[in-house]
Amino acid sequence: MDNVATHEDWKVCFSSLSPGLLLFARQWLRSPADAEDVVQEAFIRFWRRNHNIGNRGLLYATVRSIALDFVRRDSRRARREADASSETAGSVEPQFEQLDDSQRPLASAVDRLPLDQREVLVMKIWDELTFAEIATALGISQNTAASRYRYALVALKKSLQPQ
Amino acid sequence: MNDFSELENELKKLRPAPPSPELFSRIERALVDVAEENKSTDNIVRPDRFRVNWVSLGLGLAAAAVLLIVARFETNRPAKQIPAVALLTPVPRDKPGAINDRLVPAGFTQVVYNTRDEGLQFANGSVQPMRRVRYQTHETLQWRNAATGASLRVSYPSEQVELIPVSGQ
Repeated sequence: MDNVATHEDWKVCFSSLSPGLLLFARQWLRSPADAEDVVQEAFIRFWRRNHNIGNRGLLYATVRSIALDFVRRDSRRARREADASSETAGSVEPQFEQLDDSQRPLASAVDRLPLDQREVLVMKIWDELTFAEIATALGISQNTAASRYRYALVALKKSLQPQ
Repeated sequence: MNDFSELENELKKLRPAPPSPELFSRIERALVDVAEENKSTDNIVRPDRFRVNWVSLGLGLAAAAVLLIVARFETNRPAKQIPAVALLTPVPRDKPGAINDRLVPAGFTQVVYNTRDEGLQFANGSVQPMRRVRYQTHETLQWRNAATGASLRVSYPSEQVELIPVSGQ
């Protein structure tokens, strides 16, 4: 994506990025409102510093950092979010739109993935980041990012197999 | 095609929930605020843009002072070789407008670098004691050709003994 420098461009840019950014933020914040707050703060901070939006890894790293700060700020909220993000807990609100019956098991399986695998999966599938960009965003190596992605797919495949 | 391509396709069919329209308006407002803030700050001549960097200024002045000192030493190098204890004869000056194409005496320097008091002595047949003081000196004679700028300098060590009468009172 090109560097966005004009006022009109940020809307085009944000329209294409925001669903993925929100989904990414909701890995820590199950409330859509909180996720929107985090994405807003990250996007504006990113914009103010005149970053190249093409550096998506850095943008996602900003979202992640602000989301984690958000969780840490309020201990009560942190407990609630930690409970919500536990493996046994289901989604408080749907992360995906217009799920049909055949898609619900898959969405639910995604939700049950460990956080480190799920964040890589979200960035790879719905945000279409490269492993290099994912590695930048998470501060891990590309090999680790690729491994986590593969583990996530294996876990999903396993959870979808008929018992 | 890997083992998971079918699963990946199924995952991509899940569409993330879009942001609320309010989020767009909130970001738009925030960006407008940022733009106005930047605009207003652009119009203000910030005093700190003209703030003197005292560290740089100090370093610059120190460097200039060192340069001046070095330059002074360079230009005074011949004089520096003469210690402070020196006797300089006045430089003879030519008449204005007259340039002689010959070497003329330009100076005489006598440097006393050691003085030794050798105590009381009785000179030949004298009944009055005298204090003998020995001076070790270094004398330099200089000639200069005003027309060509050439100069000649002769230096040699010398020793002088002075007898100073001592009063018994």
